[in-house]
Amino acid sequence: MSIFREHKTSADRSASDRRRHKEKIQKAIKEGIHKIVAEESIIGENGKKKFKIPVRGIKEYKFVYGANSSKKVGSAPGKDLKKGQKIGDADQEQNAPGNKGGNDKGEEFYDVEISLEELSDYLFSELQLPELKRKQLANISQDKLKRSGYRPDGILPRLDKKKSAIARIKRMKASGFDPETAEEGETFPFHEDDLKYRHFKLKQEPCTNAVVFFLMDVSGSMSTDKKFLARSFCFLMYQFLRSKYETLDIVFVTHDAEAREVDEKAFFTQSTYGGTVASSGVTLVHDIIDKRYHPSAWNIYIFQCSDGDNYSFDNKLFADKVSELKEICQLFGYCEISPDKDTSDDTYQQPTTLYDVLQPLRDKKLHTAYILKKEDVWLAFKNILNGVDSEV
Amino acid sequence: MDYTLEDLEKWDEKINEIYPKYKLDPFPIEYETIDYYEMIGAMAHHGMPSMYSHWSFGKSFERTHQMYDIGMEGLPYELIINSNPSIAYLMRENPLYLQILIMAHCVGHSDFFKNNRMFKDTRPESVIQRFRAAKKRIQSYVEDPNIGIEQVEKIIDACHAIQFQTTKYGLRRRTQEEVREEKLQELKEAKIRNESNRKIRLERELEKIPLEPDYDLLGFISENAKLPSWKRDIIDIIRDEGQYFWPQIQTKIINEGVASYTHYKICHDLDLDSELHLPIIKSHNQVIRPHVGSINPYHLGFHLFRHIENKYGWEECLIAREACHDASFIRQYLDQELCAELNLFSYVKKRGHGLVVEDISDEDGWEVIRNELAQSVGGGSIPIVYIEEVRRNNELVLYHEHDGRDLEVTYATTVVHHIKTLWGNAVRLLAKVNDEVISID
Repeated sequence: MSIFREHKTSADRSASDRRRHKEKIQKAIKEGIHKIVAEESIIGENGKKKFKIPVRGIKEYKFVYGANSSKKVGSAPGKDLKKGQKIGDADQEQNAPGNKGGNDKGEEFYDVEISLEELSDYLFSELQLPELKRKQLANISQDKLKRSGYRPDGILPRLDKKKSAIARIKRMKASGFDPETAEEGETFPFHEDDLKYRHFKLKQEPCTNAVVFFLMDVSGSMSTDKKFLARSFCFLMYQFLRSKYETLDIVFVTHDAEAREVDEKAFFTQSTYGGTVASSGVTLVHDIIDKRYHPSAWNIYIFQCSDGDNYSFDNKLFADKVSELKEICQLFGYCEISPDKDTSDDTYQQPTTLYDVLQPLRDKKLHTAYILKKEDVWLAFKNILNGVDSEV
Repeated sequence: MDYTLEDLEKWDEKINEIYPKYKLDPFPIEYETIDYYEMIGAMAHHGMPSMYSHWSFGKSFERTHQMYDIGMEGLPYELIINSNPSIAYLMRENPLYLQILIMAHCVGHSDFFKNNRMFKDTRPESVIQRFRAAKKRIQSYVEDPNIGIEQVEKIIDACHAIQFQTTKYGLRRRTQEEVREEKLQELKEAKIRNESNRKIRLERELEKIPLEPDYDLLGFISENAKLPSWKRDIIDIIRDEGQYFWPQIQTKIINEGVASYTHYKICHDLDLDSELHLPIIKSHNQVIRPHVGSINPYHLGFHLFRHIENKYGWEECLIAREACHDASFIRQYLDQELCAELNLFSYVKKRGHGLVVEDISDEDGWEVIRNELAQSVGGGSIPIVYIEEVRRNNELVLYHEHDGRDLEVTYATTVVHHIKTLWGNAVRLLAKVNDEVISID
């Protein structure tokens, strides 16, 4: 005679195991996330959208059989099979449900839903703004309105409906009025004393205003590939700064032989056939700063992406202008996009690029980096922030 | 719910009455009704009421949950563990006919656990207490400020990697004393008979650690590595639990075969109304249907038992359920007739050609197929690796026993790292890959 009983639920038995597994996955996301930052689908998204990223499952390794053990046995009642007959594609077999036999070493993927903000948190949690910024931040302050309790009078837009309704109900209870038993037509209207208004106070707050200049070379030599890399880099930088500053102004400047301020779309799409005079771009940035962004009130970041190709007569002027800008900004980052650069051949005399021109100026405010391929974007980003030069 | 627990008791009684007819001899069974969420939780812990804490069980839960949600996998109809009394879980949402089918199925599993010789050392009377005590001990290490979860996890991860690297078919592992005794005896004989070659070989072997190849990796490490007591305890726990589950891994086909054939027999004899019988037949056919291109253990196991009964009678079925594991079950009873009936075939992946049929169940092919199957079922999916020796510098040397199938090298490399974590010294694995012996360290 068997025994039957309801299972006594002792809490959720594997809850802690699942939590631990989740922690491990999150760690894996954190460690592997820089691999996905250059993916096209992420770039250009705004912060609210959630997207799914496949995360490689935490593997449990065991001894398993390798490639030469692919022989399998199957059954096919009622079917006429012949030797040498093709019965399917190799991929099909791997995806077949229920086919979990033997050495199950297929990759396991989990879809993790994540917003761009969370992604930024993962990406940037270990990165710090270069130190000089904080010193600067402490010095600048700004008046800001802060909430500070409630007052019985104020302007209508600041009326707090919930607080007011609560005050009326309190008064009603105290008076003994009961709407359930009240006679027809008898109501308990708001009194002026019930109304509560939100109150604000002026407070001094450290200013966290920042302006970012993205400066891009759009001359004939910047190919689509190079632009994509430049765009990835700018996007990453934009996300990072936005996660650190409350307000962020962005100025896009493109240049070939001449510079102009453009909107975001033009910045990423435009191209010209002109030659390159790099000093034109930095000169324009300098002008805009003079007019609109006084260095005492704004943290200024300038990031320039170029393939480094410049008229040689302009190199000196470019270097001088960059030195000037360096004095008034928090960080000048120069990122050279050169997917064609041949790093293996030392004997070949590479033409002098802007990267070389800037090397003597490098210090804690002027950082440079190289991007050769998609995988370098994250590294270049980190190096520019940390002031470590790319290994080329 | 279209039934009460009293209904289930009534049906259980009827099922009990059928036991003598088929000489069924299961453990007493305790059924617990649970919901679907609890079922996934129970599955993640292999049905054990207590299990030590580890993230891999959380992963297993998520995986099952995800599969279930996207409809790739139905939940199992039954979950029963090898304990005395047997504990079986019934999903509360199942309709009555399904509960009857599952109960009859569980009787088969319980009978198999009690009578199959592979399970004779699993100590089912005390398994619940053992698992509970192990869980408590591991929890105490996690909470110990000098150890903590990170360290415990690292050891458990490493142990899991080689949990089922153990002696084949549950053969008892001989102690070093027993082996030494035997070799000394042999050496004495060699000396008397003046066989100098044999003498030299034995003398060399007697200096080695271990004296003969050891397949029980966790057992060997626990006995021979320098370890703090908590690490040794975790290794022993996971080794013991591995030993407990090992027979189940090796008897998937025969175990499901026994259970499916038993439920088939019992349900037939219950004299059910057609409103219960028809859906039961439908579910039964669903469970034992062939999976195209792979082996469904329920399908193969069921047909093997039916074949045995038709050919040799019921007594032979009882012998098979007592004596066999999957590999021997197939070698002994899968004949050409049944191969052809089930239309078994072997296939390989050929570059550029996809999947290609290699052998079919005709005169020439069926034996190849049978041997292929016997090699890959049960424990055959786990490569065999054994400890050859501990060198003077304390390096642990392992060999892969090559049976025509190569090891997957990237996996093997990580596992070697796990073994290093446990052994605490250098570890080297020698394996034949692409006809060349390579060394992984």
